[in-house]
Amino acid sequence: MLICDEYLMPASLDEAFDAMSAHRGQHRIIAGATDTLPWAREGRAGDVEVPVLIDVSKIPELNERRVDGAHVRLGAAVPIQRFLDDPALARAMPVMPQCAVWFADDQIRETATIGGNVINASPAADGTPPLIAHGARVKLAAKRGGKIERRKVALSDFILGPGKTALQDDELMVGLECDALPGYGASFEKVGHRRSLVISLVCLAVLVKLDASKQRIADARLAIGGIGPVPQRLSEVETFLCAGPLTAERLEQAADMPVALVASRSRQEYRREVVRGFMLRALMTAVRHAGGRDILAPELEAAYA
Amino acid sequence: MAKRRGRGVAACWYGIARTATVDRAGAWAEIDDGGTAKIVTGVTEIGEGILTVLAQIAAQELGVRPQDVTIGDNDTARSPEAAHAGATRQTYMIGNAVALASRQARAALVEVLAKHWGVDGRSIKTAAGEAWAEGTNHKMPMGDAVHLAKSRGVVPLGSASFGTDTTGLDPVDGSGRPWQAYVFGCQVAEVEVDTLTGEVQVLGIWAVHDVGRAVNPRGVEGQIEGGIVQALGQGLMEDYRTVNGHATTPNLAKYILPTSLDVPHVTSVILEDPDPIGPLGVKGIGEPAMIPTIPAVMNAIYDAVGVRITSLPATPEKVLEGIIAKASRAKASRMAAE
Amino acid sequence: MPDVRIEATINGRRIARNAKPHLRLLDFLRDDLGHTGTKEGCGAGECGTCSVFVDGVLLKSCLVPAAKAQGTTIETVEGLAKAGELSVLQQAFHKAGASQCGYCIPGMVMAATAALRANPFAGREEIKERLGGNICRCTGYQKIFDAVELARDVTNGRRPASALAEEDQADGAFIGANVRRLDAPSKVSGALKYAGDMVMPHMLHMAVLRSPHAHARIVSIDTSQAEAMAGVEGVITCADVPGVDGFGVFVHDQPIMARGKVRYVGEQVAAVASEDPLIARRALAKIKVVYEPLPAVFDAHEAMKSGAPALHEYAPDNLVKHIPIRVGDIAKGFADSDLIVEETYSTQQVEHAYLEPEAGLAYVDHDGVVTILSPSQNITHHRHMLSRIIAQPINKVRFIMSPVGGGFGGKEDMVYQGMLALMAMKTRRPVRLVFTREESIITTAKRHPSRTTYKMGLTRDGRITAVEITMISDGGAYGMSTEGVMRKAAILAAGPYAIPNVKVDTYGVYTNNTPSGAFRSFGALQSQFATETHLDICAEKLGLDPFEIRRINAMRDGATTHTKQTLKSVSLTRALDAAEKAARWEAGAPISRGTTRSDLGGEGTRPSCTLGARLAPSATRPKSEVA
Repeated sequence: MLICDEYLMPASLDEAFDAMSAHRGQHRIIAGATDTLPWAREGRAGDVEVPVLIDVSKIPELNERRVDGAHVRLGAAVPIQRFLDDPALARAMPVMPQCAVWFADDQIRETATIGGNVINASPAADGTPPLIAHGARVKLAAKRGGKIERRKVALSDFILGPGKTALQDDELMVGLECDALPGYGASFEKVGHRRSLVISLVCLAVLVKLDASKQRIADARLAIGGIGPVPQRLSEVETFLCAGPLTAERLEQAADMPVALVASRSRQEYRREVVRGFMLRALMTAVRHAGGRDILAPELEAAYA
Repeated sequence: MAKRRGRGVAACWYGIARTATVDRAGAWAEIDDGGTAKIVTGVTEIGEGILTVLAQIAAQELGVRPQDVTIGDNDTARSPEAAHAGATRQTYMIGNAVALASRQARAALVEVLAKHWGVDGRSIKTAAGEAWAEGTNHKMPMGDAVHLAKSRGVVPLGSASFGTDTTGLDPVDGSGRPWQAYVFGCQVAEVEVDTLTGEVQVLGIWAVHDVGRAVNPRGVEGQIEGGIVQALGQGLMEDYRTVNGHATTPNLAKYILPTSLDVPHVTSVILEDPDPIGPLGVKGIGEPAMIPTIPAVMNAIYDAVGVRITSLPATPEKVLEGIIAKASRAKASRMAAE
Repeated sequence: MPDVRIEATINGRRIARNAKPHLRLLDFLRDDLGHTGTKEGCGAGECGTCSVFVDGVLLKSCLVPAAKAQGTTIETVEGLAKAGELSVLQQAFHKAGASQCGYCIPGMVMAATAALRANPFAGREEIKERLGGNICRCTGYQKIFDAVELARDVTNGRRPASALAEEDQADGAFIGANVRRLDAPSKVSGALKYAGDMVMPHMLHMAVLRSPHAHARIVSIDTSQAEAMAGVEGVITCADVPGVDGFGVFVHDQPIMARGKVRYVGEQVAAVASEDPLIARRALAKIKVVYEPLPAVFDAHEAMKSGAPALHEYAPDNLVKHIPIRVGDIAKGFADSDLIVEETYSTQQVEHAYLEPEAGLAYVDHDGVVTILSPSQNITHHRHMLSRIIAQPINKVRFIMSPVGGGFGGKEDMVYQGMLALMAMKTRRPVRLVFTREESIITTAKRHPSRTTYKMGLTRDGRITAVEITMISDGGAYGMSTEGVMRKAAILAAGPYAIPNVKVDTYGVYTNNTPSGAFRSFGALQSQFATETHLDICAEKLGLDPFEIRRINAMRDGATTHTKQTLKSVSLTRALDAAEKAARWEAGAPISRGTTRSDLGGEGTRPSCTLGARLAPSATRPKSEVA
């Protein structure tokens, strides 16, 4: 049970920071509350008594949703469901709808926020790898000496471990700035014990763009979650994929590369086995969506369909 | 093909009502003003649909409609004992008791009508709120018939107890008659296994179950469909774990249940091999519905990918481990052969 | 503690109220406003029973702080239709048989309403996706999907409104008819109240203190600080039991609250009642229990060994029950066989997971009758046991069954009703207890796990000559239904097959694990899982089709069972024939031939689920309206 003495809903960033400093050490920030309320229960954190809850979901800056040329700007309080019902967002971030449709369920997606998912930093979080694949930068702000100071941190650097981020005590996550990748072929793979409301064991986001000849990958972004304490951008794999012509052999070699990275404490063997298959299936799907259908050997395609 | 399909079959049998002990159920019936009816019995509706089943039985036996029947609350201070919800016993024990009590209430009413019309009671029929004497012009709505009975000082009441002729088991060889009614069933399962992840989806189940006599076929289907999914949960994903007695799956995020996206299409075939002992021929469905499902699914997984599951649940990890082990065994024997 | 202000429109009515700042929208709706149609199935966003519309968007209200309701328009299940009426969707649920225990139904109706509002032409796959956040434990979902499709088609004019009406049965032949469920309207409308929805004037709320140890002696319990807390109306322990303590389906080995020692983690030790549920919770922390941990045993095999810690004085070997079945001469049977196959099978502990967590309300009425309202599956037996425990004549104890939001055997044991009775007697006020989902999972009975060693001997033409089955089951800390489960598992273990030599032994054993109790099919699921898997293994080795091997051995009319009972009529072969036909089964030995068989796919199967039905272009409104 989450018990508080006071529930504040600041209407601006300034108000939020003033509340935070007025109740320093006595408050907790919430937005959608979809992680916090289940956490404050028996079997997890138990009863949690917090003097002041500061609900930041109404702050206008945290609700920004803009596609701005090469960038997508998302406020931290934007609900995950927007990736499913905002066509401009879906176009600019082609892997997000596939990720979102697997994320919890409709009801939760309407209030679960992008920022909440990032700050929660669960190793199983499947919202983060797709954002990392979009090169997301976390926008942070704090009020110091009467002025609002801002900084940006790459999402892959922001998450430090299970439940740990680089957020400082007096900071708020304001939003994310991501690369707009319209026209990329996207794919999202996830495995769990059932088909809905599932905590994933491994998840993988892949985005690729082919060059004009369709014979070569011009840009690749891959990020994986669930194989270690933090989600990871697979930069070496990306470089390798772009380094030569697009062939079945290149894809197979790429698929082997992340297997050695699996460092999770539990179910390690299983995750290793799954990663290779996921890589191939995700790469082939993404390449196909990017218009590279004719490149792939039919036997390979059939084997991983 | 990374996704492989397969099929499996399993049969089952089950005993109806309490095991190896005498079972019993009592019921009261009253044909009431307006041609409605009151049935009072210790019935424990837990969602299986027994209230509706009893209303249908009473309606048909009395000659009214199910919507005319009111079933009293289950209250130890207000209703006669009908024992518990379990052992797939309620349709059998309470259904039969209600039928017998209804027949007695109806007989009381028929006796009044027979005298009133001057006919043999056996020629009097009651159905869907009407009473009439066959081969004559005599007829009246059930509401009028009740009014007539009451004006003659008769309240149309009935009561009955239905018990079983069963015995305990011999302590050495287990011999005895634990039940007086048995049911049989068979299910076929079709699954799809993702050989990259070990995930299993059950795409179809064909379920055949003997229920003796189906009082509400849609209700029987509902029990089969629900039992199958509950069994599926145990077969594929549910696992209550403890470490030194402490639960590590204390909530529904860790202890996972089948969702709408996990369930197969179910085709139910209702078989009727009527019970010769009870007045209705009914038996039951609640529990047997979930017995063949797990082995049928496990046999189907074997058909699909050659992995034999002997411990539950068949999680993706277990299935994938089996697939990989099988592949390396095959590789080893190929190499040995070369 | 500043309250939050909530001015909102709820089901069309404006309200303006203050609420405690820590409340969730669910609490505000149910407790402050009395809209109990919205349920708390889990409190953690997993089950969907708490779904409501906030500004037109369906949310899980157990995850929404009440403060967020300020200035919003809220629609609960009670607002879907005018009083006394049902929406088209609610009528469709009624017609299609989509409601069983009803506890998930208000939330499910809300999710279905949201689905059709989002896409009035949604196909079955999209409907399934949009209901993916709502769990049902009774129906298997199939008739829920049927209901939503029916509502969709009636609304879009594809099917007439009469498709929602009751079928006419003018000839009075109601047995065999698909009469709509009597209790469905109260469930789809959210009008039906379950125990956790019931309130009585001057009611107290109870909270339970539970053991953190699996096995420990209770040295002392000091409730004085809890008693002294302002707002605490009563505290009870086993010391408050006036009669003979002990309940259980077969053996009365379980005390109302721990007496002398605790035997499993989560066992109830004490309880507190207060008008304020938060005070009751806080008071638990003030109860001082001194434990002396004892050696514990967590494995059934270990528990059977000599020297293992004994849980109950009356069972020094930790054996709850052993059931033997013997037919013929087992050694000769195996000697007569051409093939012997051995295997071991195991099944896990499983949770009933009914959507309604345990709850109950107790009071002492004006005649001094101790009355308990609870979703008990066996009020007759409960009354019998409780009268002895509280030393009252049977007719001074009254059990009223409240609507059951799912049972499956899990509400058969009198796990909490005794505490309610004691507290009602002590405080002379009505007392209500509602389990959290975690309490329900951790502390109440589970399905017996099993470990079965199986040995079957057959002739080379597939006839079973002998079967030897040994099943060991962890019964956990208390007996509950273990004896009955072992008995049923044993009687049905060898399957409906005519076998001349049978040796079955089932053992239920005490351990310090969560107790195992009654669960739908009561041991028969466990033993027949082994048998039906084993038959397939044997069929493969003998090159027999799995239907074939079952037919060869099937019991038929006049068969003698393994308990030496004669069965006049046996419908097994009819069931086998019907299943083979319905599934269009292609005959063949079960040698793992999935890649070559031709009966796969087609009628009776659903598409493989890959999610994203709503992302497909065809998922949206079709270009031409359907007539």
